[in-house]
Amino acid sequence: MKIYAYGVIDSNCRIEDSSKGIEGGRIYNIPYRDIGIAVSDLDGRYQKNINPDHVLEHERVAEKLMESFAVLPMRFFTIFKDKEEILSMMSEYYDSFNENLNRLRGKLEFGLKVIWSGDVIKKRIAENNAGKGQSKLLSNGSPARNYIMEKFEKYKMNRQFEKEGHRDISAIDEFFSGFAVEKKLDTLKSDKLLLTASYLVEKAKQDDFKQAFERLKKSGPDGLKYLFSGPWPPYNFINLTKPEFKKA
Amino acid sequence: MNNVMLKSKDVTLLEILDRVLEKGVVISGDVVISVADVDLVYLGLKVLLSSVETMERLRGAPFAGAGEEPT
Repeated sequence: MKIYAYGVIDSNCRIEDSSKGIEGGRIYNIPYRDIGIAVSDLDGRYQKNINPDHVLEHERVAEKLMESFAVLPMRFFTIFKDKEEILSMMSEYYDSFNENLNRLRGKLEFGLKVIWSGDVIKKRIAENNAGKGQSKLLSNGSPARNYIMEKFEKYKMNRQFEKEGHRDISAIDEFFSGFAVEKKLDTLKSDKLLLTASYLVEKAKQDDFKQAFERLKKSGPDGLKYLFSGPWPPYNFINLTKPEFKKA
Repeated sequence: MNNVMLKSKDVTLLEILDRVLEKGVVISGDVVISVADVDLVYLGLKVLLSSVETMERLRGAPFAGAGEEPT
């Protein structure tokens, strides 16, 4: 029998909730000092049966834990051989777990993805540039000069594209400033995906944060689509430091 | 998920995958059992759902839009 771990919690007490986890296993807490780790037992069949439902179950348990505890959700399918291995891991990571639990207590994560028409914007920039003497330079130059000019024009267009993207990102982010205690912005991952943002928000401010999103929808930059999600356990804000090797 | 503004189950799953497969507490070392199949499962799920852009293309407009639709 293996043990599946859902999340580290700021409690060493028994979990009263009787809900089930992966493969119907009962959720229970393995305490270590003043914290614990929520787990369920797992038999050997799991390797053949992993599917999206397991992902949903993992997340459901993490969200349930979030209602009662500060929780550091584990990555999907973190499995231990037995309780001793878990206690050994808890001992190694205790300081880092504690620091994260204290920092994240009472806070929630919200996600925002923003889609824009990057391909259309690139086309428009290229068309504008074409009308500004580029063709003249190219027709009069040597092949080497043309090559350099072409590269330079491309560089300028990319710069312009990024500038326009970051202008919209700043405008979007501005709506949430003051409501989030931490944020992570992943920008311009592709022509369509302008922004993937995660915001860490105090529970008491979550309604303000949601209202900020409503305002963004009404009066944010034109031509964008938004995917707003949450509240989540703080997946994106766990800063775990690997414990140093301890001499025996 | 409480109070979520997502429009479809698949997009919800995509958002969950982004987090539970990529983020959270990652324990390194010998204490965690290595499950060879899991990487393949990650890959399979990722391919299945691909990306936000694919979702958008396949499902029309599942997102909360503002202003005019991007073309």
